[in-house]
Amino acid sequence: MKQIPVILLLILAQSLAYAQDDYPDLNQISKRLKSLDKNSNVNLSTLTETIGGNDIQVLKIGKGDVNYKPAIAVLGGVEGYHVLSVELALQFAERIATDEEALDKTTFYVFPNMSPEAYAQYHHQLKYERRGNAANLDHDRDGRLNEDPFEDLNKDGYITKIRVKSPLGKHIPHPENEKILIEVDTTSSKATRYLVYSEGIDNDKDGKFNEGLKEGVAFNKSFTYNFPAFEPLAGNYAVSQKESRALLDYLFKQWNIYAFVTFGPANNLSSPLKYNAQEAKKRIVSSPLEGDVAINKMISDLYNESISQKPFMQDNMGTDGDFFQWAYFHFGRLSFSTPGWWIPEAEKDTTSTSDEKIKDTKLFNFMKWADQENRDDVFVDWEKIDHPDFANQTVEVGGVKPFVMENPPFTKVDSIAIEHTDFILKLAQQQPKLEFHNLKVENLKGGLKRISVDLLNNANLPTHSELGQRSRWLRKIRIDISASKNDIVAGHKIELLDRLQALETKSLSWIVKGNGKLNVKAGAPHTGFAELNINL
Amino acid sequence: MKTVNYTSLFCLALLLMSGSLTQAQEKFFRAIGTPHEPEVEASWNRYNTYAGIVDLMEKIADAYPKLSRLESIGKSYQGKDIYMLTISDFNTGNPDEKPAMYIDGNIHSNEIQGAEFSLYTAWYLTEMFGELDFINQLLKDKTFYIVPTINPDARDNYMKEPNTPHSPRSGMIVLDNDGDGEAGEDGFNDLNDDNHITYMIRKSPTGQYIKDPQDERRLIRVSMEEQGNYELLGYEGIDTDRDGEVNEDGIGYYDPNRDWGWKWQPDYVQRGAYKYPFSLPESRAVADFVIKHPNIAGAQSYHNYGGMILRGPGAEEDVDTYNREDIRIYDAIAEKGEEMIPGYRYLTVYKDLYSVFGGELDWFYGGRGIYTYTNELMVSYLYFHKNEGRGNQEEELKVDKYLTFGDAFVDWEEYKHPQYGTIEVGGFKKNFGRAHPGFLLEQDAHRNMAFTIYHAYQTPKLSILDVEEKSIGGGLKEITATIYNERLMPTHSSQDLKYNIERPDLVSISNVDVVTGMIVEDEDFNKVKEQVHNPETLRVPSIPGMGTVKVRWIVSGKGNYTINVDSEKGGKVSWRE
Repeated sequence: MKQIPVILLLILAQSLAYAQDDYPDLNQISKRLKSLDKNSNVNLSTLTETIGGNDIQVLKIGKGDVNYKPAIAVLGGVEGYHVLSVELALQFAERIATDEEALDKTTFYVFPNMSPEAYAQYHHQLKYERRGNAANLDHDRDGRLNEDPFEDLNKDGYITKIRVKSPLGKHIPHPENEKILIEVDTTSSKATRYLVYSEGIDNDKDGKFNEGLKEGVAFNKSFTYNFPAFEPLAGNYAVSQKESRALLDYLFKQWNIYAFVTFGPANNLSSPLKYNAQEAKKRIVSSPLEGDVAINKMISDLYNESISQKPFMQDNMGTDGDFFQWAYFHFGRLSFSTPGWWIPEAEKDTTSTSDEKIKDTKLFNFMKWADQENRDDVFVDWEKIDHPDFANQTVEVGGVKPFVMENPPFTKVDSIAIEHTDFILKLAQQQPKLEFHNLKVENLKGGLKRISVDLLNNANLPTHSELGQRSRWLRKIRIDISASKNDIVAGHKIELLDRLQALETKSLSWIVKGNGKLNVKAGAPHTGFAELNINL
Repeated sequence: MKTVNYTSLFCLALLLMSGSLTQAQEKFFRAIGTPHEPEVEASWNRYNTYAGIVDLMEKIADAYPKLSRLESIGKSYQGKDIYMLTISDFNTGNPDEKPAMYIDGNIHSNEIQGAEFSLYTAWYLTEMFGELDFINQLLKDKTFYIVPTINPDARDNYMKEPNTPHSPRSGMIVLDNDGDGEAGEDGFNDLNDDNHITYMIRKSPTGQYIKDPQDERRLIRVSMEEQGNYELLGYEGIDTDRDGEVNEDGIGYYDPNRDWGWKWQPDYVQRGAYKYPFSLPESRAVADFVIKHPNIAGAQSYHNYGGMILRGPGAEEDVDTYNREDIRIYDAIAEKGEEMIPGYRYLTVYKDLYSVFGGELDWFYGGRGIYTYTNELMVSYLYFHKNEGRGNQEEELKVDKYLTFGDAFVDWEEYKHPQYGTIEVGGFKKNFGRAHPGFLLEQDAHRNMAFTIYHAYQTPKLSILDVEEKSIGGGLKEITATIYNERLMPTHSSQDLKYNIERPDLVSISNVDVVTGMIVEDEDFNKVKEQVHNPETLRVPSIPGMGTVKVRWIVSGKGNYTINVDSEKGGKVSWRE
C-alpha cells in the first residue's frame, strides 16, 4: 500500500516530463538534447552560436567506427514556422538512440533545429510565421532597417490579415465560406471587394505593408542552388549566416553521409521529382539526373508504404535557395524532403453549388477540414478596428491563425514521428553494402599467385548517386591490397572506382609474389568498407 | 628689409633641412612621370615576398600619415594579415565617404606582379601628392583602397618553395585531389634542388623528341615517320605514395577566383570552386570590407598573363546581368586603357577567354554594382613589340638568349630517378613567362596604374550647379536645384538600380518649411514626380554620368536654407544660400 503514492508520483513526474501538450520551446528542446547525450550511442555537439545567441547543435548517433559507416543526416527547423519538423527530428533521435541493430550498420546525424530564433516566435507573445534569424537585413533594400514590421492591431497575440472594404480591392469573400477571401474575377462583380494586407501599419508610408521586417535571413532561402539574390530574407549572398556556414563546414567534413532527410516544406517523398532531359543536360544542372529520379521513385514508394497519410495538394518540389535542393544539386547526396504532415483532403460536400475551380483553394479545403475535425481554434474572426492608414474606411482584422496550416495539433505528432522513424530506418536498409565474393587463389609457376575476387554492392542503392559521381566531395571507392609494391607483378596496389550500381559486381585480380597473409580492403566512408584476409 | 629676411631664412631652412636635396641636385636630373626624390625608397625591378610587401606598406604609411592609412582587413588561412593601404587626402574629408577605387592583386598566388603594380600605385600617389595639381585634386576627390596581395600564404609558397610558373595558383588549403581519401600526399619534388620545378625528359629509343643540334635547350618534336631519342615525362616529381601516378595530389587545387558570391556554382560545374561563396578566408575578408564600404564605385583586380583588360560576364548564363548602359561605360574606360597600355586588349571573359562562375569581377559588379576590370598583366608584346601569344617557346628562347642572357633557363642536367631511372631535368624557371623580367616591370606598372587612375577619375563627381528661386504667391517659394555629375559613371550602375543594391541618393533642404518636394523629370514641360512622404529629403534613384538631376521644393518662410547631396558612391556636397 505504501508503494502506491510512490508510483503515482512517478507517473506524475513522467507525465510532467514527457506528456507535453504543445510543441517544445527552446529550453525544453535543449533539455531533451542533453538527456539524449547521456546515451552512449549519442554524441551532442554545438556547431556555432547564432547571432541571436542560440546554439546550433548536432547529434551524432552510432556505434563503433561511426565515421566509416554509411550515414543519413536528418534536419529539422529548416523553416522556423514549421515547428513540427523540430519535434520529428527530436523524436527520431530519441527513438533510434537505443536501436542497437540499426546503429550497427548506419550512423545518423540529427540537426534538430536550424532556425532557433524563427522557431521561438511560436512561443512568443506575438505569434507569426517567422522565417528569418536575428541578423539585421534590409529586406526591401531601401537603405532603412526594420522600418516596417508587423503590428498586432487587435492585440490578440497573432499576426493575421487586415481587409479594407474598397472598390479598389482585388479580393471577395468565398461564395461558400464568407470568412475566407479569394481573388476577384469577372464573374463576381456584385460581391463586396476588399484590399488585403498583412496585419500592421505602413510605418514608412511607402504604400507597402510590413515589407521592412524585423527579422533576418531565412535558413531555407540562403543556399547556393538557385540562390534568390536580393530577395527579402535571402541575405547579401548565399550561405552568409553563421548557422548555414557552420552547418556546411561540418557537413563537408562528414564523408560518410550518403543521404539527407529534411523535414521541411518541400516534398519529394509522397511523390517523386520528375526528370527533365533538357534541364538535366545543361551545364548548370537544373533537373535531377535520370538515374537519381529512379532512386527517388523507389524511395518514394517506400515512403508511401510507411506513411498512412495520403498525398494531397503537395506541390512544393523545392524553392530557390533551399536546403533540400542544395543537398542534392550542390552536395551530390541523395536528398529527400517531406513536411511530415499536410492538410488532408476534406470530405466532399455534396450540397455544393458553386464553381468547382473556386472551391478547391488550399485555404477553403483547410477550413472545411478543420470544421470536420471540430477545430474551432484555427481562425480569428474578422473584427473592425480603427486603422491610421485608412481613416473613414471599414478595416477589419482576422484570418487563419499562424502555424495551423503547417503543423498538426500536437496530439497527432507521436504517430507521425513513429511512421517517419520507421521510414528512415527502411531507407537505411537500402544503403550501399560492399561485399567480397568468389575469392580464388591460383598458384602459377615460380611461386607467383593469382588472386581474384568479386566486389559486390549488395544493396538497392548505388554507391554514388549519378550526380554524386561528379562531385569531388564524395570519395571514390578505394581498393587497397596490403602486398608491397615490389611483390605485385600485375594489378594495382591502390585502385579507385567511380561507382558501383545497385547489385553491380566488379571483378578484381592481382598476381603477387611470396607467401603469408594479405589483406584486401574496399570502400569509402559513405559506402562502408568490405575487408578480406587471404592466406597465401 | 623684411622680404630679404624671409628669403634668407627660407634659404637657410632649406639648407639645414635637406642635405639630400642638395646631393640629388648634384647627382640626379628629374625624369618626367616619376617621383624624383621619394620619401620611400623603392625598387620597381624586383618582386617582394609578403614580408617585403608589408615593409613597403608600413614605410608608406609612416611617411605619409595624412595621405595613407594601413589596416588589416582579415587573416589568411595560415593567419597572415591581409593588409590594405587607404590612400586619399585626409585633410579634405573622410576617405570612407569619397567615391573610391578598390585595387587588389595576386588572387592567384603565382600571378605575383599584381602586388607590385598595386604597391607602385600607392607609392606613386603618395609621392606625387603635392607635386602635381592633377594628383592633388584626385586625392581630394577620391579614395584608393589598395590590397597588394589577397593571397599572402601561397605567394610566399610560390616564391620560397619549389614551384612551376603555374603553381600553386590556389591558397594553402590542402585538399584530396585524386579522391583517394588522402590530401596532398603526392606533390612536386625538386629533384635538382634549385627551387624551380622544371621538366623531366629521358633518353628513349622510341621517343618522339630530339634536342635541337643548334640550341641544346630546345626540344623538337620529330615528324611522324622519324625516330626521336627523347621522351617527355612531365614536371619534376616522384611517385611519393606509390599509386602509379606522379604529382597527382599536391597542395591546392581550388581556385580563389571561383569563390565569389554571384551566380556561384559548385566544383562539378565550375572546376576549382571550394565549398560555398566566400568559404575561403581571403575572399571573405575582401567581401566583408567591400560590403561595409558602399563608396567603392570602381574596382580593379590584377592577374597574369596575356595583356588583357577583362570585363564580365564570366559565363554566358550571366549575359543578361550586363546591360547596355553599363557596357557603354565599361567600353569607354577600357578603350582608353587599350591606348594607355600598348599590347593589351579589352576583352569579355566568357566569350574571349573561358567560362568563370563565381569570379571576383562578377561579384563586384553583379553583387555590388561596382564597375570592375581584371587585367591580365604581362604580354609577349613587351619583349619585341610583336604579339606572339602566350607561352611561345621560340620567342621565349630568343628572349633568354638576347635579353636575359640565360637567366631564365635551367640547363638540362642528369638525375637518377627512383622510378624512371636516368633522366634529365631542366627548362624555363618559374619566374619567367608569366612574371615580367625586371626591366619591363616598372613601365607596365606605371601604365596599368594610369589606367586605374583614369578609372578612379571617372567615378562620380557631384556638384550643385545652380539653385533657382521663384515666388509662386501665397508666401510660397519654388526652389529648383540642379545637381551635376561631371564624370562618366552614374552614382548607381544599372545593376545597382535593378536590385537596389545601395540606397538612393539623398538630396535634402534644411532651415526652411517644406510644403512639398519633387524630382523634375522635364523642366520645359513641368513634368515632375512628387515625393509625398518626407519631402525635405528627396530620394533620387541615381544621378547619371555626365548628366544632371533637377529637384524642386515648394517652401514657405524666410531664412538661409542649405541644400545637401549625400550619395554613397558620389560623395557629399552642399550648397548654402
